[in-house]
Amino acid sequence: MKGIIYILTGLVVLGLLACEETVTLDTKQIDPQIVIEGLVTDETKSHYVRVTRSVGFYDFGRARGVADAVVTVSDNEGNVFNYVHNPGDMPESDGYYYAETPFAGEVGNTYTLTVIVGGETYTGSDVLQPVTAIDSLSVRIDEDEFEDPEDVGYYHEVLFYAKEPKDRKDYYLFKFYRNDSIILDQENDIYFANDEVLGENIDGIPIAGFYKNGDVARVEMYSITRQGYVYYNDLFNILNNDGGMFSPPPANPRTNLSNDALGFFQVSAMVSKSIVIE
Amino acid sequence: MSGVLILLFGHVSMAQGKYTLNGYVKDAENGEELIGVTVYIKELKTGTATNVYGFYALSLPAGDYNIIYSSIGYQSIEKTVSLSGNVSMNVELPVEVTTIDEVVITDKPIDANVTDVKMSRNEISIQQVKKLPALFGEPDIIKTIQMMPGVITAGEGTSSFFVRGGSADQNLILIDEAPVYDPSHLFGLFSVFNADVIKDSELYKGGIPARFGGRLSSILDVRTKDGNNKRLGGSAGIGLLASRFMLEGPIKKEKSSFIISGRRSYVDLFLKAAGKENLVHFYDVNAKANWKHNNNNRFFVALYLGRDVFSFDDAFGFDWGNATATFRWNHLFNDRLFSNTSIIASNFDYALEFDDPVQGFKWTSNLQELSIKEDLNYFITPKNELDFGYHLTYRRFSPGEISPTTEASIFEPLKIQNDYALDHALYVNNEQQLSNKLTLSYGARLSIFQNIGKSEVYVYEDPRENININKIDTLYFDNFETIKTYINIEPRFAARYMLNPVSSIKLSYNRMVQNTHLISSGTVPIPFNTWSPSNYYLKPQLADQVAVGYFRNFKDNTFEFSVESYYKDIDNVTDFADNAEIFFNEDLATEYRQGDSWSYGLELMLQKKEGRLTGFASYTWSKTQRKVPGVNLDKPFLANYDRRHVLNLAATYDMNEKWSFGANFTYSTGRPITVPAGRYEYNDVYQVDLISERNGYLLPDFHRMDLSATLTPRKNKERKWKTNWVFSLYNVYSRKNAFTIYTRLKQDEDGNVIGDGKEKEARLISLFPLLPSVTYNIQF
Repeated sequence: MKGIIYILTGLVVLGLLACEETVTLDTKQIDPQIVIEGLVTDETKSHYVRVTRSVGFYDFGRARGVADAVVTVSDNEGNVFNYVHNPGDMPESDGYYYAETPFAGEVGNTYTLTVIVGGETYTGSDVLQPVTAIDSLSVRIDEDEFEDPEDVGYYHEVLFYAKEPKDRKDYYLFKFYRNDSIILDQENDIYFANDEVLGENIDGIPIAGFYKNGDVARVEMYSITRQGYVYYNDLFNILNNDGGMFSPPPANPRTNLSNDALGFFQVSAMVSKSIVIE
Repeated sequence: MSGVLILLFGHVSMAQGKYTLNGYVKDAENGEELIGVTVYIKELKTGTATNVYGFYALSLPAGDYNIIYSSIGYQSIEKTVSLSGNVSMNVELPVEVTTIDEVVITDKPIDANVTDVKMSRNEISIQQVKKLPALFGEPDIIKTIQMMPGVITAGEGTSSFFVRGGSADQNLILIDEAPVYDPSHLFGLFSVFNADVIKDSELYKGGIPARFGGRLSSILDVRTKDGNNKRLGGSAGIGLLASRFMLEGPIKKEKSSFIISGRRSYVDLFLKAAGKENLVHFYDVNAKANWKHNNNNRFFVALYLGRDVFSFDDAFGFDWGNATATFRWNHLFNDRLFSNTSIIASNFDYALEFDDPVQGFKWTSNLQELSIKEDLNYFITPKNELDFGYHLTYRRFSPGEISPTTEASIFEPLKIQNDYALDHALYVNNEQQLSNKLTLSYGARLSIFQNIGKSEVYVYEDPRENININKIDTLYFDNFETIKTYINIEPRFAARYMLNPVSSIKLSYNRMVQNTHLISSGTVPIPFNTWSPSNYYLKPQLADQVAVGYFRNFKDNTFEFSVESYYKDIDNVTDFADNAEIFFNEDLATEYRQGDSWSYGLELMLQKKEGRLTGFASYTWSKTQRKVPGVNLDKPFLANYDRRHVLNLAATYDMNEKWSFGANFTYSTGRPITVPAGRYEYNDVYQVDLISERNGYLLPDFHRMDLSATLTPRKNKERKWKTNWVFSLYNVYSRKNAFTIYTRLKQDEDGNVIGDGKEKEARLISLFPLLPSVTYNIQF
């Protein structure tokens, strides 16, 4: 909700009055930096960690994976989970590491990720917080989209219901899927929340996207820590920055990873719910 | 020239008794008191100038004198006075009738550019502002201020300005002595100052007089007209974006008068995206009344009210505005002691509202200030003028409150607690003429600032830790209980040395203290920013500035030239951590980062104020850096608004009674911004910019030319009104000037992602292409 301020200002001043053109920035590029992302949830599965390197601003292509890292996750009970690089040997999984044996994170435990690449060690810790249940999802027709749909047939919206417990501080991350592919209203959207200004009853907020008959909409809700909230908030701000005119100067997100690694190690409890549009 | 004579008179005067000559100087046509009128005694080759209330006083030996009253734009008047007792002499100056022939300047005895001890100061003539080309045809003093030497703008279409390395919030902007916290309409497209009611405006950039305080870098002192006290009159204007109306006249002839004016925009029609469901407008109302009880007691009331309102599809809207009120009492205690007592109130507030059954909320924030000021001018001798006074200010800051707007809203009410502050200032300053060559101005301001309750102050384990915030204690303060007191002495000094009758050198030093801090981390403030007093964590910002200058007039004072150089050092400049959350953050204290700022520059100004061709040329070379712990890895970086070279030219030419023309040209080197030094991927979905250095890249150079023409049709003798048409061309050669740069995934013109879906591109935003406009004005 706070990020809306900059977007709003930018929208009015720039969106309504400005013209734009693509320019080539002749800027100093820095050496590739290590980028790490990892997720441990309370589901029993082979959780992943991805290790890549940054590229030049104007470089093409998907991030190139780092295949020779040593990746482990440990918890505060002394368990250590070893990760192996691309066990299925699939080209699209280059740079992905999976836990050798499936495991489930437990609420209240702290998980620590260690990644060793070329003699450098990167670590990060996060705590698994409880998550609230999703009560239900419902479908309704969006009148504006029904009259003038952006994509023909896509005029259903999906509403979300939950009870937000007020006796503790919670932070959430949401992912929305249409037929198993992730959906964002804008390409730089991230859906996250803190409960600071939320009441107990979350009764029918629309999720991202519009849906056609027969689609399956799915919501995944993750608990995140304050550190995770800060990371996604910062990530949202840099993705939506206007160059520092009205918004703050762009800055790298604050992360729980050490040794100047980019990215984030997230530990979450996760709940999900699906609904078929009809 | 005649140094011997001066010395002689100097000696003669010692022997005799002294009497006071005082009075007010007014405009003969409308009775407006005139500020800064030179009052020159021919026989003594010395004089004074009227103060901001149009009052002057001189203490002189008995004798016969010829006194010349002169001011730019007015005919000079010479009066003879026989002083054998105290004399009160009110003078009216007729407006200069110019245009057809070049005015021959005779008897213009002294010139403030060279002789005044004040330096680093610009007067902005509203007549000139009205003739110069303006964006959308709306004359705006802030846009002219942005062209003054030592003043930098972050980009066109903004009402912020940056003075000698100071940020936008370091300017104290006053309308009739009341502070305006946000001077912008439409996010800065226009300023809140309606040109129809402005009488006089001055910008102080250095050597700031002791009667001003509270901000580090400049004082913009705007004074509005008092209203014609001779006859009912007014004006109206119809422009492309806004229309104006002004009415003024006597309530009781020569005794009291009023002025009221309004301005309302109809921007809605011009915004591409504004459909009939969308509403975007702003308005201003200025009202003033004054009553001259007698020569010794005068009363004034001034009000300003302005607001911007945006509403989209009836579902979402926001608004902001300023309201100020000033009550003033000018009193003469005796012939030489002039007093001004003011009671001032100012309010700034904004609100955002989202209308939705489930997600409805209203977000509000406001700030109030109430002050009482007592300013005294004591004209001790013609050689000593003492200013002293006391200012008391109470401020209430309400940084934010969120409330749900419907029963079913998912939001809960939340309020960030208020802040309160009490600010005392005592000052004294003497302007002393040591000899005919050397004049000094020296004094000091004592600032006693208190952050007071009611408040709860959180104590943090580490006040700089803004992620995992750990509060270890809470301190409770009751109503008016002192949380923190900051006492600062601000010395002020200025000297002027006449090299010869047409040139002088000046020197000044000032220390300024700022105890109200703008909570903004962008380059240009936005109306949704809030302010905070100095508090338990936030220390006062301190600026020390030295400036030297050479001032020279040419061709009988037709041309005024100056070159100034300054160095300014700021301690505790308020900045914020990278990624700071500045909105609705009850732990805002963890985001403060205060550091050092230093700036230096060289400024040239050539000005021609009289004749058919008037205008100015200004050039500024400057550099501003900051070093803030925790920002940019503790390394120094260029300020967001730093520009190395800035050149501004403005000219108006009165061809004949029918036509006059205006032109602006501005050139500046680009300002620094932060651009990516790489890209990386997160979650397979997001392509994120990699940042390595703050403000390491310069935007392209900025330049633009504007033209205007004013057509005044021949006046019909039968009619009581005058009309004119102002035609403007903004950005004549339609340059795409860089406003900012942002990045996005590579897209085609329709906004579809192209390429491999990972590739990014940089987009340069520019605001205004060639914009013609026309404004029709009526005066009656």
